[in-house]
Amino acid sequence: MAVLIVPASLLVLGLLVAPMLLMLRISLNQFSPTQMMIEAMSADNYIRAVTDPYYQQVLGTTLGIALLCTLLTLILGFPAAYWLARIESRWKSLITILTLFPLLVGNVVRSAGWMALLGNDGLINATLLWLGIISAPLKLMYTPQAVVIGIIAVVLPYMILTLASVIESIPRSVEEAAANLGARPGTVFRRVVLPLALPGVAAGSILVFVLCMNTYATAILLGGPQFKMMAPAVYDQFIRANNWPFGATLAFILLAITMIFTIVGSIGIARRYKR
Amino acid sequence: MAQLKLSNLAKHFGAAVAVEHVDLEVRDGELVALLGPSGCGKTTTLRMVAGFVEPTAGQILIGGKDVTHAPPYARDTGMVFQSYALFPHMSVAQNVAFGLEMRRMGRAEREQGVLEALKLVKLDHLAERLPRELSGGQQQRVALARALAVNPSVFLLDEPLSNLDAKLRSEVRLQIRSLQQRLGLTTLIVTHDQEEALTMADRLVVMDRGKVLQVGTAEELYERPANAFVAGFVGRCNLISGFVDPGGVFRTDWGGEFAVPQESAPGKAIFALRPERVALRPGTGHGIPGRISAITYLGSLSEYHVDVSGNSFLVSMPPPPNDSPLRCLKIGDQVSLTWDVAAVRLLPFEPSSNQGEEP
Ligand SMILES: Nc1ncnc2c1ncn2[C@@H]1O[C@H](COP(=O)(O)OP(=O)(O)OP(=O)(O)O)[C@@H](O)[C@H]1O
Ligand SMILES: [Mg+2]
Repeated sequence: MAVLIVPASLLVLGLLVAPMLLMLRISLNQFSPTQMMIEAMSADNYIRAVTDPYYQQVLGTTLGIALLCTLLTLILGFPAAYWLARIESRWKSLITILTLFPLLVGNVVRSAGWMALLGNDGLINATLLWLGIISAPLKLMYTPQAVVIGIIAVVLPYMILTLASVIESIPRSVEEAAANLGARPGTVFRRVVLPLALPGVAAGSILVFVLCMNTYATAILLGGPQFKMMAPAVYDQFIRANNWPFGATLAFILLAITMIFTIVGSIGIARRYKR
Repeated sequence: MAQLKLSNLAKHFGAAVAVEHVDLEVRDGELVALLGPSGCGKTTTLRMVAGFVEPTAGQILIGGKDVTHAPPYARDTGMVFQSYALFPHMSVAQNVAFGLEMRRMGRAEREQGVLEALKLVKLDHLAERLPRELSGGQQQRVALARALAVNPSVFLLDEPLSNLDAKLRSEVRLQIRSLQQRLGLTTLIVTHDQEEALTMADRLVVMDRGKVLQVGTAEELYERPANAFVAGFVGRCNLISGFVDPGGVFRTDWGGEFAVPQESAPGKAIFALRPERVALRPGTGHGIPGRISAITYLGSLSEYHVDVSGNSFLVSMPPPPNDSPLRCLKIGDQVSLTWDVAAVRLLPFEPSSNQGEEP
């Protein structure tokens, strides 16, 4: 039986672990404007990344945006997932597929659409101006709010589908039993549905958090040049500055932070669940 | 405890009628069983009482209070689900405590209540286990304890024993009955097992296709069934359609002539006779002649299927003693059947009815 996991393991080794090890090695090298990269074994890049206020801020923004988006997605997604899991309609599978529909549109295309909507002469501003509600266009584009909205629009389907599959596995009779024993709907949710859905909350949140931490196109297109998150910063180092060692360092820090939050979060939820 | 009253209760799912014109009163401390074939609307009726199904028409009164449109949490019913529906993330004690918490009971009082309820079902030693660490029978008893702990006005059970094996079922059945009597619980129980209904209930309600056919004690339903369906569903019964001639003769559809009480009203009817009321003698004597087509030995009872002019007639009796001539009866033997005409019931003729379990 173990032989069954060999192909997948080889793929992961070849396409994930090997490049990562290579990146780790590169991140310990030194940058030289003339030679590009000098073989070395130093932690200088890491020290620079964590001490430079600019990169501290980039990391802070990334983490803040990712946590906020994960939380908002969870709050927005749970009622929708509950509804999706509990409807008894012949259209249920159709609705499930419709939930996936937004994912058919790529990030770049979608963000371009958001630009057309939120821009200074975009649909919203144009309408408000035409109605005379405002006299000068509102600044909607190139704001953190625009980025948050854009990210949520991308990750919400993942959250809803992950949660719905777990909620579906909670028997309705268990909820009915709680109501029968005198629990109002809010209490049924808090004491029965939510605890039983925690594995789904964990899985959905981790998935969404990882996606948010690695936001690239949405951050650039809706956040504008002043707004920096980690993934675009990594790109800048590799492509614009040609500083591969520092780019690799930023990439590794992004990976490490994502993993730490994911692991701490899962342990926290697992502990609550066991209680 | 309180009395439960359903009046003219109905539930339609779109065009489909699940329950219609149900009138029923469960008296204080009484156990009433809803009995009927699959799909006859028993669960729907029970769920309307609990508040999970909104009635299309009619009224539900608990202790004189109209709860027809009250939400489930405000009804004070205690329901035991067929699937038990225990909270999988809570221990046995937490499951039982849930209803008490919802009633804002203090901690000490709550612990006392949990312990008492668990003692009732003899599970106080497993209080800290999770439901998945219990056997099916134990889970069932936790579900009972959880519903009993809140001391509900009305106790509702939906086929609570269907997931248990035969031995455990009869054990838990007696347990539920004695608890119900001891605590004086007003109880409505759903079952499609007539034996269960007969052994547990003060009164039975026989339902078919959404309608109540008859309400009565086990004896009333058995001795004086209102129609052929009830006669066939409660106990076993020989049901033969035909015509009553004046003067106490019943002419079957195939031309047989049976004796029935003299004063029977003439006209189309269904002849009903319980298998244990038929006497069977070997050979041709007086009585209806027939031929044995099958013999089933059931331990305390033997059943003889007798072919009477191409129609199967069921006769049951305790296994005959060793020296009885009945002992050597075998398939194909000629026999004659007799009965006391007073044991015969003539039931209204229903052309389209699907009669219960015919022998
Ligand atoms: N949610 C629903 N939507 C449509 N029809 C339903 C629904 N629930 C029940 N029914 C129908 O109502 C009728 C009565 O169902 P109900 O569950 O009350 O039967 P029951 O007597 O409990 O049967 P069983 O012994 O099989 O449990 C059935 O014909 C069923 O198909
Ligand atoms: Mg049912």
